[in-house]
Amino acid sequence: MTSRHDPNYNYAYLDETTKRMIRRALLKAIAIPGYQVPFASREMPLARGWGTGGIQITAAIIGPEDILKVIDQGADDTTNAISIRRFFSRVTGVTETANTREASIIQTRHRIPEEPLQEGQILVYQVPLPEPLRKLVPSEQETRKMHAWAEYGPIYVRLYEDISHCGHVTSTYSHPVLVNDRYLTCPTPIPKFDNPKMDMSPALQLFGAGREKRIYAIPPYTKVKSLDFEDHPFEVQHWDEPCSLCGSNTSYLDEVIINDAGERLFVCSDSHYCETRRAEGHSGSQLEKAKAIHLTETPT
Amino acid sequence: MTVMLEARNLKKTFTLHNQQGVVLDVLEGVDFDLSSGEMVVLKGPSGTGKSTLLRILYGNYRPVAGSVRIWHEGKMVDIVGARASLVLDIRRKTVSFVSQFLRVIPRISTLAIVMDPMLSRGIQEKDARDRAAEMLKQLRLPERLWGLAPTTFSGGEQQRVNIARSFVAPTPLMLLDEPTASLDAENRDIVVNLIESTRKAGAAIAGIFHDETVSDRIATRSISL
Amino acid sequence: MKDEALLTATNVTRTFGGRGGCRDISLALWPGEVLGIVGESGSGKTTLLRTLAGFDRPDSGHITFHLAGKPIDLYGMDEASRRALMRTEWGMVHQNPRDGLRLDVSAGANIGESLMAKGERHYGHIRKSACDWLARVEIDPARIDDNPKSFSGGMQQRLQIARVLVARPRLVLMDEPTGGLDVSVQARLLDLLRVLVRDLGIAAIVVTHDLAVARLLTDRLIVMKNSEIIEEGLTDQVLDDPHHAYTQLLTSSVLSV
Repeated sequence: MTSRHDPNYNYAYLDETTKRMIRRALLKAIAIPGYQVPFASREMPLARGWGTGGIQITAAIIGPEDILKVIDQGADDTTNAISIRRFFSRVTGVTETANTREASIIQTRHRIPEEPLQEGQILVYQVPLPEPLRKLVPSEQETRKMHAWAEYGPIYVRLYEDISHCGHVTSTYSHPVLVNDRYLTCPTPIPKFDNPKMDMSPALQLFGAGREKRIYAIPPYTKVKSLDFEDHPFEVQHWDEPCSLCGSNTSYLDEVIINDAGERLFVCSDSHYCETRRAEGHSGSQLEKAKAIHLTETPT
Repeated sequence: MTVMLEARNLKKTFTLHNQQGVVLDVLEGVDFDLSSGEMVVLKGPSGTGKSTLLRILYGNYRPVAGSVRIWHEGKMVDIVGARASLVLDIRRKTVSFVSQFLRVIPRISTLAIVMDPMLSRGIQEKDARDRAAEMLKQLRLPERLWGLAPTTFSGGEQQRVNIARSFVAPTPLMLLDEPTASLDAENRDIVVNLIESTRKAGAAIAGIFHDETVSDRIATRSISL
Repeated sequence: MKDEALLTATNVTRTFGGRGGCRDISLALWPGEVLGIVGESGSGKTTLLRTLAGFDRPDSGHITFHLAGKPIDLYGMDEASRRALMRTEWGMVHQNPRDGLRLDVSAGANIGESLMAKGERHYGHIRKSACDWLARVEIDPARIDDNPKSFSGGMQQRLQIARVLVARPRLVLMDEPTGGLDVSVQARLLDLLRVLVRDLGIAAIVVTHDLAVARLLTDRLIVMKNSEIIEEGLTDQVLDDPHHAYTQLLTSSVLSV
């Protein structure tokens, strides 16, 4: 099958030996769920902090038969998501999609799609800071030892502080998890609303931190438990109202301020999920208002 | 009468390294025995080593030669060269030393000071408190002082606290170094009676008293150094 | 007395390029005992303490800890086990409380951390223990959520002590616990330490250059000079009947008030 990718670049931009190196790191990561594997992160054609880790993983595993979806905070249509899709389109020529169900590889920044994932799908996370203990323990040497010997007491200090100051755990994103009852892992800055989706997921979850040069993974059907106290169990966010556009009351909602008077709508963060629901006929209370201000249009 | 203490051939010299290495020979070839029910008074002019001997018997000074065997938990134990924890145990249960000054620790109340040795020996707090109160009453220390730290007390008041602490739960062996020196006549009498009754209850006591009338009154035996 | 030593050091040497540190140190500590190590700065006492605490591997010699009847070579074991021991069986009170506290979390979290490290996962229990301990070290429990940065030096030191003792260690190592504190604050702290050590029956090693602290807190004393032990014995005996020239110099140099 001839690829439609730009002949000036190797397929998927990275050279083959680099892809092999990354795949080796991925295999090791999958073999040790939640463990951070160092890898030789390459210089990519975009600056660090813009998803180079996720892009390298996707580039290492993508093939002509894959169907790629890229989302940024749940949306397919932000500048970054579009840029990354354009990049892959150019260097691989693969079919792109916004449809979660259709995609074989989903690269994401800071959200897990609302649509449940299936076996055979791969979710690639972009990771800013892979080390969940970094804020408590600045030394890399020390955190490596803590992971080696599962010395995770200090992370509970953070949870304790939240509860003592606010009555409940205030972390709304990046809530640390314990993978496979062994490694403490940073789930990336996904809202803690999404944490439960990581547990026993049929999909393969891969994590890439380009700047920090770390790869980690959660194989399908792996136990992922969000940290909590016995008397303050883990809880996800709730909203008082459903999505203004599609009426969903089970998805993660973004707050959108629509005018200078401070009026706001709550809208599904997962744009495709919302569109699909609307296409199926669901509508939220503010749908007409949203249409009037062009909130529901997809940019071309 | 059980022999509670047997000291043999005690020799003590002090070498003052920082004062031209002056050597003071204080004791030489001293033997000393003490049995329960005895009140042995050490006599002699100052500088002859009476206090030194008492301190050696307590393990406070280290003799250059000789042995000090004490009846402790069913057998005779030599404290010279013994393991520190053993000596500490002996001091907790068998031998007390009553000096002429109270060692004042800031912030500890009089009652707490008197209760302390009993608590160390595992006596219940309520019991210890009651007995301490009784003893302080006996020594005529007014109740309003019991909750205060003795830091601001007069010498005589402090010494009475010291005596209370040592005599409220006496040990089988007691060593007294001028215990009545800072007391007025009336309080001295009370303390002397206390020593007497403790001896009659079976304690083995050795002491130094600068006041001859006192020593004459209570001594069952005297030794001159 | 059939109990055996809690900790023994045999011919421990730890020098820095052959100089300083401590040399050929042998000592033993029994349960419930407080051992003082005195000496002037540079005598090697802190090096010795750190070696005993498991922070610094000696160049030669052995340190054996006796746990449940079994002798354990402190530096013969793997690092993971040693670290676990350091968390559960003993604790170190640093001279500067800032070295022994997390200044960016609350007082309650500081105390609770030891419990959380041991696996305590009930927030309510952790908080209650923290409150109890704050009261024990005479810090108002209402300050449980305050940051230690807002505490005075003496309070920080007492918080550090609570943080160490909450884990119920069998041995506490203290490096100049009253150093840098005002005299009145020192007195209060020493008193607290004395009572806690007595009530909890823990063994302690206290490094100090202050003989008054040694007299008040310790049962036995070791005098160090130029990296070596030059005299040892019962505290009152070493201070009242010093034999070595240096010890005599130390005791005669102390000013009385």
